[in-house]
Amino acid sequence: MSYNELIKSFDKIRDYMREFYVYGFKSREQYNKKSLRSYDDERRRLESWIGEYMGYHKTTEGKTFFISVDSRISRHNPLYKAWKAKSFTDGDITLFFIIFDILHSPDITMSNIEIVEKIDMEYLSFFDNPKVFDGSTIRKKLNEYVKNGLLVTGKIGKTLYYGKSPDYCFNNRDVLNYFSEVLPCGVIGSFLLDKYENGKDNFAFKHHYINSTLDSEIMCELFSAMHEKKEIEIEKFSRKNEKSTSIRVVPLRIFISVQSGRQYLMAYVRSKKRITSIRLDYILKIKSFAEAEDFDKLRDLLCGMRKYMWGVSTQGKGGRTETVEFTINFADDEEYIYNRLVREKRCGTVERIDKNNAVFRAEVYDTNEMLTWIRTFICRITHINFSNKDIEKTFIDDLNRMYEIYGVEL
Amino acid sequence: MKYTELNYKNMIFNEIYSTYFNAVSHILAEAVKNPVDKGKIREIVAKYAFSESIINIEDAFRTQKWQLLMSNGSTPVKNIPDIPVDLLEKRWLKAVSLDPRIKLFNCDIQLDEVEPLFTPDDYYVFDKYSDGDPYDDGEYIKNFQIILKALERSEPLDIHMLNKKSNDIEIIAIPEYLEYSEKDDKFRLIVTGSRNGSVVNLGRIRSCEIYQGEFKNKTSENYQSKKFSVTLELKDERNSLERVMLHFSHYEKYTEKIDDNNYRVKIYYDKNDETEIIIRVLSFGPLIKVTKPRSFVNYIKKRLISQKKYVL
Repeated sequence: MSYNELIKSFDKIRDYMREFYVYGFKSREQYNKKSLRSYDDERRRLESWIGEYMGYHKTTEGKTFFISVDSRISRHNPLYKAWKAKSFTDGDITLFFIIFDILHSPDITMSNIEIVEKIDMEYLSFFDNPKVFDGSTIRKKLNEYVKNGLLVTGKIGKTLYYGKSPDYCFNNRDVLNYFSEVLPCGVIGSFLLDKYENGKDNFAFKHHYINSTLDSEIMCELFSAMHEKKEIEIEKFSRKNEKSTSIRVVPLRIFISVQSGRQYLMAYVRSKKRITSIRLDYILKIKSFAEAEDFDKLRDLLCGMRKYMWGVSTQGKGGRTETVEFTINFADDEEYIYNRLVREKRCGTVERIDKNNAVFRAEVYDTNEMLTWIRTFICRITHINFSNKDIEKTFIDDLNRMYEIYGVEL
Repeated sequence: MKYTELNYKNMIFNEIYSTYFNAVSHILAEAVKNPVDKGKIREIVAKYAFSESIINIEDAFRTQKWQLLMSNGSTPVKNIPDIPVDLLEKRWLKAVSLDPRIKLFNCDIQLDEVEPLFTPDDYYVFDKYSDGDPYDDGEYIKNFQIILKALERSEPLDIHMLNKKSNDIEIIAIPEYLEYSEKDDKFRLIVTGSRNGSVVNLGRIRSCEIYQGEFKNKTSENYQSKKFSVTLELKDERNSLERVMLHFSHYEKYTEKIDDNNYRVKIYYDKNDETEIIIRVLSFGPLIKVTKPRSFVNYIKKRLISQKKYVL
């Protein structure tokens, strides 16, 4: 098939965009999972969609392409453009604009037969070689638009009539500019923005992980399954063996990290009788099954577990928890350090020992998840104690390795 | 008339949201008024579609594969295309209406009959800081809306606020844009024209109004991020490559592979955020090593020297 800048499926481009955006150091030959032709096509597409954010390095192994975006400068997520590159047939686009021209006002309602006649007589007949659409093709399209909520139906006698959905206008650009970047599935807000003329963009975003949009459709399906309280089968990619595996779960809630750029599904695995986390970017496909009658109970269970969760790790065997306690020292003019401890903690307690010392204590399922945060206080940690001594050893060993790496001696 | 239940598969990835449909909609909007020539089509496609789209769009019209535009540039379409807001968009807007931050905006999303795409019970941001801005506070909401109005009209603002030392200061300045941090859950207003600073934390504002006097720009300096860079080397162990790359992905950065398991990453950051970057680098422990610039290496060393004084 010859190259086309539009795509039929999102799966392949989802992988490539992540590779180019998150990593961006692989040469053409290192994309060994795909064919070289596929690499060339996907790269060319990305250049067409978001060329201003693409760059390349010349290395001994050839050019390495990457996507680099300073999210504070770009007012809108450039990766949204991939969602706007779906391919379509000549008939799709022709019928779309003609049908919505015929039904241009909600006051106009017509049957399929009337619409078919109008399309032939008032639109296609103007062309040298008019296209021919049969009634069933047009009915299929009309029903697709009904499903999308673009059209509504009603019956008079036995005849089904189609009409345009009642007018609903929402054009508060500030709301759309802001929420399209900060809420789940924000690309939908971007679709709405496309309907209106360009205006002033009053918002910029810091600490903004734009890659999360690549999982928007997966997230949408998960929200749908949660609302219907459905048990689902997830096909996911396993990093360990680089293969896909399937797991049957009850989806409970999406956990989003604004510090690591990851999004997780928290779900109950019935076969293991435990709640676990699954990264959204590893999910390939979702199939839904019967209703999970215990959905509400399981969601409450997850809610109750939150006080012991630093990140997404949940209870091990027997619901065991671990404890951690560390003390930090700060100078008289470093009150902001104490404030950091208070505002950055996600669970646990902070006790002010005196003017210059405070202790943090927590009981969590997995103290390993806290190591990265505790390390941010390096230079002022005067005491630390983990109930899990393996984790404590990791912390101390890492610290010693850092002294070694930077040649720190007293 | 009733809505049919929505099946989500392939609903976001749908041609009706495509840049092609959007570009064609704008072309037809022109053609309804007057026949469009190649130049007009190219201008619209360049504005609304991708850089290579003109090849396909021009060809599809020329060969009449898309029977919407005749060879003389006129169209049988009679009305300016006006595609309704669809159910997925309405459900997303309904979800917006349930977010506590919607109170900041003076708007009413009336979609009583629509189910939200998601609710606050369906997702949880587990690592944002706990001292976010007070979105329920009446004064905060009032100030936010005044700022939005001033931004829209590019009017100067007279802001009274507490500075870092908790002293009252006044800033009369032109608002440029609002910056939101998801991690801090705070808004900052970037302003120009005041000697008293260019960044206003909205949470620190005591009062804010449109400035009625004659505005005099007190400084020629604009808020500009001062770009610095730091170069890190990392060994891919404990999944560090993926963690580091993703963690710093929102910065402008360049990565190269040094050998089988070692990588070099250059990250560009705003000088004002240097302390934050130092902390974030420290959080990865020995998995990353700062190699450049010397000053940054010294910041890390200084912290490690201080830490080594404590025997753990």
